[in-house]
Order: sequence, then structure tokens, then C-alpha cells
Amino acid sequence: MGRLAVALLLTMIAWGSPALAEPLRVLSWGGAYERAQREALFTPFTVQSGIEIEVARYAGGLDALRRAVAANEVPWDVIDMTRSEAMAACDEGLLQPLPPSLAAPAPDSTPADRDFISGAMGTCALTHTLFATVVAYRADAFPGRRPARIADLFDQQRFPGPRALQRTPAVNLEWALLASGVPREELYRLLSTPRGLRLAFQRLDKLDTIHWWEEGEAPVELLTTGQVVMASGYNGRFFEAMVQRGVPIEILWDGQIQEHETWVIPRHARHPQAARDFIRFATSTERLAALAGRIPYGPARASAAVQVGRHPESGVDMRLHIPTHPLNDKRAIIKDEDWYARTLTRMNDYFAAWLEAREARGDDTPTAPGPSTAAPGESEPDTQPQRFP
Amino acid sequence: MEIHGPPTPRGLVPVLRFLGLVVLGATVGGVAALFAAGFVRGVLWLNEILLISPRSRMMFAWPEWLTLTTVAVPALGGLIVGHLHQTLPERRPHTPTDAIAAVQTRRGRLPVKAGAVSALTAMLSLGAGASVGQYGPLVHLGASLGSFGARLLHLSRSDDNITIACGVAAAIATAFNAPLAGIVFAHEVVLRHYALRAFAPIAAAALVGHVIATQALAQGALFHVAETVIPQAWEFALFVAIGGLGALLAGGYMHAILGLSRVAQRLPLRPALQPALAGALLGVAALWVPDILGMGQETLRFATIAGAFGSGELLLVLGLKVAATALCLGMGFSGGVFSPALVVGMLFGALCGTLVASLTGASQDTFVFYAVCGMVAVTAPVIGAPLTSLLIVFELTGNYALTTAALASVTLASPIAAQLFGRSLFDIQLLERGLDLSSGRGQALLMDTRVTDYLTKECVTLSLEASLDEAIVDIARQHHAEAYLVDARGHFHGCVTLAGLEATRQETGKPRRVRQCLDERRPTLRPDSTLWAAMALLEEVTGEALAVVDDTGLFHGVVYEVTIAHAYLHQSEALRREEHDHG
Repeated sequence: MGRLAVALLLTMIAWGSPALAEPLRVLSWGGAYERAQREALFTPFTVQSGIEIEVARYAGGLDALRRAVAANEVPWDVIDMTRSEAMAACDEGLLQPLPPSLAAPAPDSTPADRDFISGAMGTCALTHTLFATVVAYRADAFPGRRPARIADLFDQQRFPGPRALQRTPAVNLEWALLASGVPREELYRLLSTPRGLRLAFQRLDKLDTIHWWEEGEAPVELLTTGQVVMASGYNGRFFEAMVQRGVPIEILWDGQIQEHETWVIPRHARHPQAARDFIRFATSTERLAALAGRIPYGPARASAAVQVGRHPESGVDMRLHIPTHPLNDKRAIIKDEDWYARTLTRMNDYFAAWLEAREARGDDTPTAPGPSTAAPGESEPDTQPQRFP
Repeated sequence: MEIHGPPTPRGLVPVLRFLGLVVLGATVGGVAALFAAGFVRGVLWLNEILLISPRSRMMFAWPEWLTLTTVAVPALGGLIVGHLHQTLPERRPHTPTDAIAAVQTRRGRLPVKAGAVSALTAMLSLGAGASVGQYGPLVHLGASLGSFGARLLHLSRSDDNITIACGVAAAIATAFNAPLAGIVFAHEVVLRHYALRAFAPIAAAALVGHVIATQALAQGALFHVAETVIPQAWEFALFVAIGGLGALLAGGYMHAILGLSRVAQRLPLRPALQPALAGALLGVAALWVPDILGMGQETLRFATIAGAFGSGELLLVLGLKVAATALCLGMGFSGGVFSPALVVGMLFGALCGTLVASLTGASQDTFVFYAVCGMVAVTAPVIGAPLTSLLIVFELTGNYALTTAALASVTLASPIAAQLFGRSLFDIQLLERGLDLSSGRGQALLMDTRVTDYLTKECVTLSLEASLDEAIVDIARQHHAEAYLVDARGHFHGCVTLAGLEATRQETGKPRRVRQCLDERRPTLRPDSTLWAAMALLEEVTGEALAVVDDTGLFHGVVYEVTIAHAYLHQSEALRREEHDHG
């Protein structure tokens, strides 16, 4: 018995040895998010395991992963991915299945499957945090009034000025329908009809001058420099700009869209075992609480949520800034990732077609943050209804 | 004619009995609520896997196959439904109409098999996308469960009626998550009286249904309306007008359904195959206008949003929805009339709102008011329940301003429709089946009772050849005052009275046959004559009894006038007890 244990231990040391010649390559989202991850996850992991971490940045999307898997040359071992993309990628066979025992139990030894929020453990993905896409606005843009409802994003008469929106169908379509008076419970049912899509695109079309962003830091930049007065973006990035850099912006929590952020291991990853070790480490209660203390994303496990405290540098109470706080999630939308996983390609096509028609009219600025090309109200967009198959 | 029965008993035993009935009501309510919730879930599940719901259609990986499934699913669903209906004695699904008839005529005892088969076929119809409603089947399912409970416990007919109403109330309370509407619907449409004895068990049933809907199943509200602005004073006049027009639309909707079922009867296609044809036609139309498939929850929502439909589109979808519903129900799909009426009414209201906005140039802040007014104006006349419709609006939206607007609309809608078409689609259907509820329950009861229930052969019959003297002796010896002439083959030839015979004998003095002094004015009854018809004849006839003679002239026996009067008094007393006793 004792000899067997020694043998096992030796095998484990040899197999999972810290003497990994190459670093573990993580693909994540950059910016404030990456900084928080570095402090709360990457550096402590290297200290504990001796494995260096090399971080690459992306802005979501599966195209690069598809090409890499097809070429059998996958340059990442772990990817920080939204759950909707993880589900789609899993269905396409781009990811490795994760063992059910991957996540560590809570400190009080509550099993992981009871400690994590429901739906956190997927076939190929393990949710670590809940982040929200919200609207932020410049506090000095609308003297005497402040946006209170998501419909105000589309109300350029009461809240004039250019907007910045993410260059994806997701979130924009939901907000457009919500602003039309659709209750949040019915959003995805109605977005499934040609009529619902048409209504949503019509609403988006009424906005003149949209700055389209792709990188998560871009909306913060656009707001900071005053190129736009309202922008959609990730709540954590806005928090960082607001609290740590003192940028005069505020968050409109109404209509926030919550989404699961997961860890996945791509197919043909070179170091799958080290990747699994990292995920187990990064989703432990202690590390999740440490991450939420640096960037206000809601931890995916109950034991971590209760440990969230103050920001280590600014001393801000982080609980008030996480999307799942009761004050913030009164009208929160839970993104229907199952729906997106199955419809993403089609939605992207519709969105691209609409965008093309819109750009042909010259209503918007190009993707990257740049100088505003049109003053608000200068061009009245044509609200020609679109046909969708 | 008024009689007074024994006073309502008071004391411990009646109180316990009454409490027992309340507990039974709650139990029936719980069971009905679980079944109703299961039914609703089942339909949603079928809609997902059969690619009827827009969500499943959008998420389907091979969109090019949707054309095929859109036509094939309703057609195959219709095929199964049509064949299942052939197992029922009437070869048609049972609906709330049957439950109303059972309660109003105090027959009670809804058949279990018909209830189960109708619920199953309704679930299949709705699941396969037929343009029918789900609340009718839920009401009938609840009623059948209530009646089944009463039968298990060997309760009286009055208690059976109450448990039927309990099942109905719980089904509505669960499906709409609207307990008050459930209680009022059971009284307004099914029982049609407000006795305290019935109210308490029904309230208990609705409450249990509500608790199960909200707590156990975490079912959200059916129809959310965000806070709205208050309409202008002059708009209330428009709401009233929408009510009047909506009543006409409701009439058109009801007559389209009735008319198509008459057309279907003459169709040279076996009834078992008719739903399949309707399903295929519906599927083909849905390729063009998908809004008409199924219950139309999404269409309902879009109709409350200004700008979701153009005016032309509203008119098109409205017309097609009426046609699709008439087609599906007329040709034998199983389902209700309420949900399609909701959609039709809502589209109609939206049309009115769009027109008003384009004529006056007003802002469309109050658009949802027009939609809801149109909805109430069409649904209230169809189900014959103005109060229920109002409460549904109130409980579903929680919005008092909307409820008052709906009140304005229903004020005109219900009376106009009742005058022009009848109290409800249920009552019109019952009238076509020979049960007239328009003059209240007393008449309906008498109309539903056949005179053959009171038939007797205890009477004097004479042969055609009998002489006057023989006849008089015969009649007098049996202590009667009348006799009936029946020949050797059992055929009826007429009635003679003792007084008439005696008078004839006094007049002439010479021997004559009885057949020469028949009472010419004496009418006869047929075996299928109702007690109501017999009562009507009694007003013009004096005599001992009425003969019952069938179409071939065969004599079946007689019904004594005293028996008819007693039957009437007995029915009235039973009704009085049911409707006015406390416990």
C-alpha cells in the first residue's frame, strides 16, 4: 500500500512536473481585465507551480481558433471564452471535453457542483465569472438629467450625442427590442421571428452616428476622450476607468446583459494537463474572490461571492460594482447563450448585411476609435425595413 | 308557481359538510392545477421539438427543411387527432360547451374517456401548431377532473356541479396565473349563479391553482405590460367605439367557426381525415404568414408594439388568423376559441390604434391601450364573460389604467354582441344542439328533460270497436276520467273523456262507437318532447294526461299533467337549493 502510494506520487511528480520547458499560453481579453487576471491568477499560478504564463489577446470570435485547429497548429493552451462561443466551439469539436472533477471543492469542502451557479459546468467549458455588458455615459454630457432606462440609449433627442456600440448582433439586438417595450422574458422568442429582427434593426437604424468597437478597451477610450457620450461596454472596464482613473463616466445598470465567462482548452493544445491544472487553480474559491476584488465581475461560485471585499488599492467596496448585486440586476437580462450558440452564424450574417447597408449610406464611423465624422442629427438614416429569411 | 322547501339546516353537521366541500374544492383545484401546468408544459415542449415555436425554428440547424416541416407537422398532427376523435361516441372533441351543458342541465357526470381523449388531442393539436386555443381544453380538463372527483365520492348532482366549477377555476387560475379571473369565470360562464355554497370551494380551488402556478412551477405572468401613460379623456370615447366594432368582429369570428363546421359536414372527405387537410392548408399559409401558426404568443406581443406591423399587414394577419382558426376548429382539430380571439382582438385593437395615430397625428404612447381594448372587445363576447375578461386584463398586467380602458370597451361590446349573436359561442353551439340557455337555467333544465322519463302505461286504453257503454264502465271502474284509443297493432287513434262520452250518450240515445266522440283538440307528445314543450301544451289543454305517440303513430303511454307539474316543482326546488343555500 505504502509502496503504491510512493509510486503514484512519483508518477504524478514526473507527469505534472513544474519543469515545463515552455510557458503555458493563455488567450484572454487584454486591458484592465488582463491586469486583474495577472495579479489574481497568472502570477500566483507561476509562483505555485513554476510554470510561466504567456498571455495573448483577442476580442472574441472563433475564426482564428477554427483555422488553428484545422491546421493542427494551436498556439494556445487555455482560452478565456464567453459561454455562447464556448458552446458553439464545443459543438464544432474545436474544444477538449473537461473532466467533471476538474473544479476544486470549496474551502468548507462543499462539492464544486453545488458551489458553482447552475449551468456553470459545461461539457467543454467551466464558468468562472459573470460579466455584464452595460451602457456607460459621460456624467457631464446631459446637464440636469441622466439616463435611467435602456431606451434612453436610443433617445437622441433627450440625450443627444454620438454612441459607441459593439460590432456584434448580440446585446444591440436585445437592447433595441427592450427599448421597443418588449419585456426581457420574451426577448429571445421575439428575436427568433423575422418581425422581431426587423423591429430591432429599425430601432438601431434610428441612431445616427454609431462608433463601432471591437476591442473591450475601445468604448472606455471613446468615452474618456469625449468622442461619444454613451457607449456599451464591459462593466469591469468601465469600473476601472471610473474608480481607478477618475474618468467622469457613470454606468446605466438598466438592461445590463449578463454572460458567463468560461475557461476552455482548445483541441490540439500542446499542454493540456498544465491547462487543466491552471483552470483548477484559477477557479478555486480563493482565486475567484481575489479576481472579483480587482475587477467587478461576479464570481461563479457561492463560496467566492461571499468573500468579495474591498479593492486592494482603492479600497472601494467591490460588491456594489458587481453585476449580480441586487441593486444592479433589477432589470438584468441573462444572455440566452444556447440561442446564440445555435444562431450565431445567421445572426452575424444578418448583422453584417444590415451594417453593410448602413455603411453604404455613410452613417457610421469605421470600427476603430477615430474622430467623429458626422455631427449628431446631421444625417437622418433611412429606416427602410429589412427582410430576413 | 312558487313553493317553499324546508329551511336551510343550521348546526355543526352542515358546517362540517360545507368545510368538507371546501377541502374537496381545494383538492380538486390542486389536481386540476397540476394537470393544467403539465398540459401547458407539454404544449411548449411539443412546439419546441416539432419546430413550431419561432425560437426552435430559428435555432434549427437545417433551415432549408423548415418548409417541409411547416406543412408536414400540422398535417400529420391533424391525421392523428382526426383518428383519435373517432374513438369518441360523438366523434368530436369535448369542449367547455359540454361542461356548461352538464352544469346548466344538472346532468353533471362528465365522461372520463371523452375528457382524457379531448385533452390529449388538444395537446397534440396545439403542439402541432394548429391555430386553436389552449384555455378551452384546460377548462374542460379541469371540469372533467372535478366531475371525476365528485363521482368517486358519490356526491350529489349539485356538488358535482360545484366540483366541476372548482376544476375550471383552478385551470384558469393556473394557466393565466389569475385566481380572481378563475373564480369569476367559473361563476360567470359555467355555474351562472353566485351561491355562497359554491363560492367558497371555488375560491379555494383557484387559490391552490395560483399557489401552484407561482410557487411550485415558478411560472411567470402571461402578459407583461410596462408602466404606461394615462390616456387622454377623449380617447375613452374611442375605446367605447372600439368595443362596438369589436363586437361585430367577434360575431364574424364566431360565425366563421360555426359556418366552417357546417361546410365541413358536407365535405366529401372522411371526418377522420379532415383535420389533416386543415393542417396542410394551415402549413402552406404559414409559409407565407408564419404569425398564424399555433397560439400566437409572439403575434400577441408584437400587436402591442407600435410600428411592429403596418396597417395592411395587421389587416392581412387578422383576416388570415380568423380564417385559420375557423378552418382548424371547423374541420376537427381539438382546441379552444379564446387564444385565437385574443390574437384577433389584439390585432384589431392595434389596427384601430394605428389608424387613430395616422388620422390625428397623436403620439403612440397609448398604443397598448388600443390593443388591449380591441382584445377585450373580441374576447368578452366570444366567451360571454365581460367580468372575466376585465379581470384577466387586470391580473395579467397589474395595470389599473388599462383595466379602466378595457371596461370602456367591454361596456358596448358585450351587450351588442349578446343582442346580435347570442351570449357566447358556447351558447350558440348549445342552441344548435337544442339547448337554449337564453332564458335562464330553469328553462334549460326543463328543455333538457324528456317526457319519456315520466311516461306511464297506467291508463285506460280502449279498442276502436268499443261501444260507448263499455267505455264508460271501463273508465269509471278504473277511477279515471279519460281513455286512449289504441288499435290491435298498437297505433294511437285519439283520446276520449268520460264527460264527452256521457254527453254523447245523453244527446243521441242510440248506440255509437267511442271513436266517434274523440276529443279533437287534445294534442299529443312525441317520445323526444321535452318537459318544457309539455309545460307549454299544458297552458292550452285541460285534461288528465297527454298521450306519447311516435312518428309511426305507435302509442307509447301517457304522461299525467300532475306528474309534469311535480317534475317542474321538483326541478325548481333543486335549483333553488343549489343557487341560494349557504351550505
